[in-house]
Amino acid sequence: MNIAPLKGIRIVSLTWVWAGPWMGAMLADMGAEVIKVETRQRLDAQRVVKLTKDSVEDLNMGQFNFTNRGIKSCTINMKEPEGIETFKKLVAVCDAVITNFAPRVLPGWGLGYEELKKIKPDLIMVTLPAFGSIGPDKDYVSYASTIEAVGGLNISFGYPGEPPVLSGTYPADPVGGVYGAAAFMAALIYRNETGKGQLVDVAQSEGVTSLIPEVIMEQVMNGRTRPRMGNRDDIMAPHGCYPCKGEDKWVAIAVGTDEEWKAMCKVMGNPAWCKDEKFVDQYSRWKNQDELNRLVAEWTKNYGPYDVQNLMQKAGVAAGSSLDIGELVRDPHVVKRGAIFQQNHKVAGEINIYRSPWKSALTEKNRPAPLLGEDNDYVFKKLLGMSDSEIMRLTEKKVIY
Amino acid sequence: MFYKALDGVKVVEFGNLVTGPFCAKILADFGAEVIKIEEPCCGDVSRKEEPFYKDVPGIENSGLFQYVNMNKLGITLNPETATGKEIFVQLLKGADIFVENNPPKRMKELGLDYKFVKEINPRIVMTSITPFGQTGPYKDYKGGELVATHLGGVGYLSTREGDATKEPLKYPAHLFSFQAGLCAASATLGSLYRQKLTGEGMQLDVSEQESVIQNVNSAIARYSYMKQISRRTDVLDLAPHHILPCKDGYIYASFVEEHQWRRFVEVMGHPEWADNELFANAQIRSQYWDALKPLMLEWTMQYTVEDIYRRSQEKGIPLGAVRNAEQVLEDKQMKARDFFVDVERKGEGKLTFPGVPYRFSEIQREAPTAAPLLGQNNEEIYCGRLGYSKRDLTRLKEAGVI
Repeated sequence: MNIAPLKGIRIVSLTWVWAGPWMGAMLADMGAEVIKVETRQRLDAQRVVKLTKDSVEDLNMGQFNFTNRGIKSCTINMKEPEGIETFKKLVAVCDAVITNFAPRVLPGWGLGYEELKKIKPDLIMVTLPAFGSIGPDKDYVSYASTIEAVGGLNISFGYPGEPPVLSGTYPADPVGGVYGAAAFMAALIYRNETGKGQLVDVAQSEGVTSLIPEVIMEQVMNGRTRPRMGNRDDIMAPHGCYPCKGEDKWVAIAVGTDEEWKAMCKVMGNPAWCKDEKFVDQYSRWKNQDELNRLVAEWTKNYGPYDVQNLMQKAGVAAGSSLDIGELVRDPHVVKRGAIFQQNHKVAGEINIYRSPWKSALTEKNRPAPLLGEDNDYVFKKLLGMSDSEIMRLTEKKVIY
Repeated sequence: MFYKALDGVKVVEFGNLVTGPFCAKILADFGAEVIKIEEPCCGDVSRKEEPFYKDVPGIENSGLFQYVNMNKLGITLNPETATGKEIFVQLLKGADIFVENNPPKRMKELGLDYKFVKEINPRIVMTSITPFGQTGPYKDYKGGELVATHLGGVGYLSTREGDATKEPLKYPAHLFSFQAGLCAASATLGSLYRQKLTGEGMQLDVSEQESVIQNVNSAIARYSYMKQISRRTDVLDLAPHHILPCKDGYIYASFVEEHQWRRFVEVMGHPEWADNELFANAQIRSQYWDALKPLMLEWTMQYTVEDIYRRSQEKGIPLGAVRNAEQVLEDKQMKARDFFVDVERKGEGKLTFPGVPYRFSEIQREAPTAAPLLGQNNEEIYCGRLGYSKRDLTRLKEAGVI
């Protein structure tokens, strides 16, 4: 049967910014029907955030379109009692609720798990707060960088001997989203076997800590903080990012064995310094890596990043261009695999969408991110069976809003 | 395991380092039985990775290996021998999931690629995690954390407001390899759900490069809308949004919403700054950051990380403590949630490890088990399950099969 894994599973998504929406998009890629409930009363910040000071402010032109593709949107204003009632009706016809709102928000609306369970006894609910829904700091507020700092990521992040740095890409959010998706599916399989739904609480900060065990175990095993090492490895050398021809062009090279070192020397035309005793084996190369890196850079700067990458890879050495976003979108391998593809969004036009990071025979075709309330008719009429006059009344009352 | 959600699910893992083994760890944490196959000569490559217990290198001493492989059973097996291959096939016949992260060429050479595996077990979910996936021009290229970070577009963007004279920067340790393993586990669980409903198998082709790409969200948005190339050296219109030194370490300070800034200047004892027009909003503060920074440091340098973190958060300001590992291990929030776990290591006493970030309301949490010593479960699996005698075990060992 040619059916995507989560076909037939319907999920209500009360999410915003990045972690929660990305969880929904990933589940949609696997075939789930994900319905985002949002409101003009308080828009998803990513619908409106300006990308630069010159960019247009339009609620359909934000980063929203990249993390919410594949899903549906309906508008319900939870500040209205009838909004809460409408939401409950929707939950009754769904399998799960996912949310990354602060832990106090849903209980504040009377929509905590215990309440929702009364409507749908085998409901699965996944909450994705920064620090978890229990514990003394549960109401602490955060951005992704707050979570990364508190989770222990930044302390070991930086150039050797310099202060810690801030990430440029905020991985805490996508990491949280993927953990949420994994935990949801474990709960779904459990429900399938036992008939029981449940609440799954995922702390994003713990998600970050769980991906940097080297940092934690260095402390546990040896009582030390893992130092900031830049691009260096614990044992490999060369292991770095080297300048190339052109402005701000770089290539990464990682050499793990003597065989790879010899192959790299051959690619570089076997310069005399390659035979220097200082670089004779892995330990020597590691110990003398400052000098080694300078010499490698002298060679790489004569070539473009792709030239170095392809020459090295052909010789069996791990190397990769440091791609800027334009190069990434056009990278022949990325294009060939459809990892990033063009999608036509109703308002934004042609945009570059990245799919979930796997290929299978059964990935769902990707629908563009919804306009605000694009699926109101489907949700209120078809799913909830409301009449046109009822919908009009609720719209005028700013319940559907 | 941590939670018995996947009771009865059987996984065979054949891999090294982080991506494949971490994917299998997540399945093991959810209660699946994972049999980890290691090659008899030397075991998983991560056994030789730092940190080592009390700084003594040794295949049973790696903190990385012991974390990534907890909750698993471990056997040794050489699939290059005919008998080894036969045993491998027996294991795959009885498995629901096969996780591996070897070069595609090697799996083909071993005759263990999906084409073969689905013949012997059509209902199996086979998850392959490689630097660039199973198809495309780079499929046989070598990868690793550093190379994937750059070919996935994150390297070029790292770090925020970076120095133009310095090279782009890798993230610490194996962060993105772990993220790829996590994505692979997520996809595998979806396919397992489908397998349980339809009895059908599937191949999942997971690429580390593509896993890195999911992190470049804002850069791809800027590029899509405005064809602008984001750079690590860009000065963004937001200040402070920086890591700043304080008395005993560092804090992360950012005030996207203006009420947060107004509350923070009160915490700093300078409520009048709220009315200073040079600091009127994040964009203007960014223009005058060189002037503002020393003023802020004058205050931060008098206080500790913990002090600034607590005082800010109590006022609803999203400021973060840049914690070191010792402080993370002592974090009262993580302690209240019992995040860290003590695991008994054979003959060595207990050692603390990071746990899992999720809590299930209907499933009792259980104590995890230590990672297997090299070949620890050979007898249990070969004699107990596959019907070999103890004498066979000796012969298999001498023949270099296990």
